Amino acid sequence: MKIGKIVKSDSHINYVCQIFGPREADIQPGPADYAFGRFVRIAVRSERADDPDALLDEALGQSREPVTYAVGVIYDTILQNPAFGALGPRLSNETQVELFSPDYISEKAVLTYIMVLGMMEERAVFGSEPEVLSVMHGVPLLSLELDSEIETMTDEEVRAFHFFSDPAGGPDSQSPYLHMGYIPHIIAQRSSLLPMVTLRIIDQLERLFPQNLSLLSIVKRNFAWRLKVETTG
Amino acid sequence: MFEESIIESPAQPAYRRPVGITKGPGEATHEFTFVSRDDQQVLKNGEYVYYELADPETVALNNTTGPIPIRRVLGRVIKRVPVQLYPDTFLGEPEIPPAQVAAMVGYNSRTNELFELHVAIMGYYDATTGSFINPWIPPQSGKQIYLADDAMLAQILSRKQHMDPGSATIGSLLTRTPNAVPIVLSVKDLVSTHMAIIASTGAGKSYLASVVIEELMKAQNKACVLIVDPHGEYGTLDQIANYPQFSEDGDGTGRGYRAQVQVYKPDQVKVRISTLNIGDMRQLLPEMTEKQQYLLSRALRKVHETKRSHPWGVADLKQAIKAVSRQKNDEDSEGADDSSTVHALTWRIEQRFEHSFTFDDTQHLDLPEIFRPGQCTVLQLNEIDERDQQVVVATLLRRLNQARMDTERGKVHSGESYLPYPVFVLLEEAHHFAPGGTEVVSTGILKQVLAEGRKFGIGVGLISQRPGKLDADVLSQCQTQCIMRIVNEIDQKSVAAAIEGVGRDLLDNLPALSKGQVIVAGAAVNTPVICRVRTRYTQHGGESKDAPDLWQQYFNKDTQESRRRSDAPLNGNRGFNLLR
Ligand SMILES: Nc1ncnc2c1ncn2[C@@H]1O[C@H](COP(=O)(O)OP(=O)(O)OP(=O)(O)O)[C@@H](O)[C@H]1O
Ligand SMILES: [Mg+2]
Repeated sequence: MKIGKIVKSDSHINYVCQIFGPREADIQPGPADYAFGRFVRIAVRSERADDPDALLDEALGQSREPVTYAVGVIYDTILQNPAFGALGPRLSNETQVELFSPDYISEKAVLTYIMVLGMMEERAVFGSEPEVLSVMHGVPLLSLELDSEIETMTDEEVRAFHFFSDPAGGPDSQSPYLHMGYIPHIIAQRSSLLPMVTLRIIDQLERLFPQNLSLLSIVKRNFAWRLKVETTG
Repeated sequence: MFEESIIESPAQPAYRRPVGITKGPGEATHEFTFVSRDDQQVLKNGEYVYYELADPETVALNNTTGPIPIRRVLGRVIKRVPVQLYPDTFLGEPEIPPAQVAAMVGYNSRTNELFELHVAIMGYYDATTGSFINPWIPPQSGKQIYLADDAMLAQILSRKQHMDPGSATIGSLLTRTPNAVPIVLSVKDLVSTHMAIIASTGAGKSYLASVVIEELMKAQNKACVLIVDPHGEYGTLDQIANYPQFSEDGDGTGRGYRAQVQVYKPDQVKVRISTLNIGDMRQLLPEMTEKQQYLLSRALRKVHETKRSHPWGVADLKQAIKAVSRQKNDEDSEGADDSSTVHALTWRIEQRFEHSFTFDDTQHLDLPEIFRPGQCTVLQLNEIDERDQQVVVATLLRRLNQARMDTERGKVHSGESYLPYPVFVLLEEAHHFAPGGTEVVSTGILKQVLAEGRKFGIGVGLISQRPGKLDADVLSQCQTQCIMRIVNEIDQKSVAAAIEGVGRDLLDNLPALSKGQVIVAGAAVNTPVICRVRTRYTQHGGESKDAPDLWQQYFNKDTQESRRRSDAPLNGNRGFNLLR
């Protein structure tokens, strides 16, 4: 589900997304869709040929071309209200404003901060789940573009983003295993909310990978201790 | 490994690869640290590594004409610290290896093994003096560190080369594969400046001592050895006669050589009563009254005067006691009666000596018979009371010392006390013969032999499981130390106190050594080494008893059968009696 679009970036991996307001999307995203710790993805616009067939395929959702996504997590939300602080006399009430100056209302917005955790490449397969071609955790090479659309990820997609085998050459390149290769760079960021988002991520992964509970508990305990005990104590 | 590198040549063979890079100075001035991945796991504690240095002396002379020789400065790894440890929190789930956690967060764990190694600098080997010279120049940061190869170590750790005349190969360097680097003791230094073997019980002291004896009995040494064996463990050395290692064909000019082993059973170990002095007597007749002691010492003096150097017996001593007491009574006008003292003393002497199988009027161990080059004599003292053992050792050492002194000074030229060659005496359970804190009859003479033995050619090997209970002077007189596993802290401390030559870092390994591993230090080696003792040719006599096995045997069929037969007549008799 598409929830918004990129309106600004703070760095190569931190993006600000404006959530679709009323009438901007088919389905208006609710707060649960852009909740704290939610995994999202952004299609990286590839250099598309101006082939009308391809455009048509894409429009119909039948493209067989691989699509590259940047995968990120929502770690902060800001409610933007230009009217805040303007305490002067009002000429009209809310409904009247909507009626007389629709532009004004659209300046109220929900902004979410997204941190990019990695990339994944998929190819749509007709009539079934898309096929995951590759996954990478860490800083992506390409930056995202303004106005790129942001969509939420399903459990299945989140699972695919975390469970894969190392590219050939690694110690056990054959068997897939649980990855959280973005943790080091989450920690390296200086945002007070990021450790909390890590805990949220782990909670989700615990639900998705019940077989890896004890492995996850090691990271989780470590974070929980640092976050809850050390900062309080 | 890189065995073939040539020691003299500074040219670097292609296959000699550095094992690490110097990091910087270590904790002490003679230490440095280097970092290594140690892929082949060769950099164990105690392993030898070196760095190269332009010869400091040549450089100092400013001699720029010729090429500057390269010295290989050897050092010993004393500590191995992993540089990258998993955080404790990664270790929280026993069934999850931390590498898996690291892999999950994106760390390929194959490359995390990085060690910081602490090295104590020994110096470069100077072949002319056979010692290590510290250049006082630690390696600069960034300098390459090499692993010393087997050939290099074989040349420089030991004083002698394997099979040289006067060499004793007791085993091989522990950190290398068995037999790769033989540890060869210099017998000359071992024998002239005494040796101590110290370890907890069961660590392999007697085993090592037997290996040393085997080496001494080989053709390249043909030593003259006496073993004082309070537990009767060394009897199996008589198998030496069966092994070709201990013989040598004659080369036409002289006779061939074949090592001899003489085992004296406890009842063959005799002490002639006339060799006992008043100290021995006091030990053998404890709790004598002052009067008795006085009487006895006068009687001993008298019997010595009358008999000179001829042997005398119990009867002579008793007579002398009577004579002395009579004489005393005549002197003392008060007419004090000594008859009860005389009676008591005579009675005790009779009790002590007349049925003793150790103390004899005439027989005793003949020195030229028990001390002979190419012969190892084992005196088995088991079954002999501990106090008597001390007297046996004391009298023997006294006689030996006298004989060697007299021979060296040219006072005797033949006969019973003519011993024109040095000897080596191995003393098991040395703490019995020179206990710390108290003085026993053997303490004095043992100290004397240790102090003067070098002059007169008497070498002593001491074996003890309780260095803490051994007289400290005695221990520090031994210039070659073989220290094996020691668990007891007090014993570790007393070893450390008595032995200067061994670094703390080596002694810290003591509790970690296993059976048959020994730290050898002192005069007989160039530098302290940890050695794996070789296997004996002869069987080991000091095996621990396998109690469950022996109990099992008691119940097995054959023995049960034979026991029933031997028990039967008794049972039958009893039954018969009951019937009546
Ligand atoms: N180098 C070795 N190789 C193989 N076995 C060994 C070695 N050293 C010792 N052993 C074994 O260890 C056991 C104990 O050795 P040993 O009798 O020498 O101990 P010890 O130190 O003399 O003990 P104690 O203090 O009781 O006299 C023996 O069974 C012996 O076979
Ligand atoms: Mg023993």
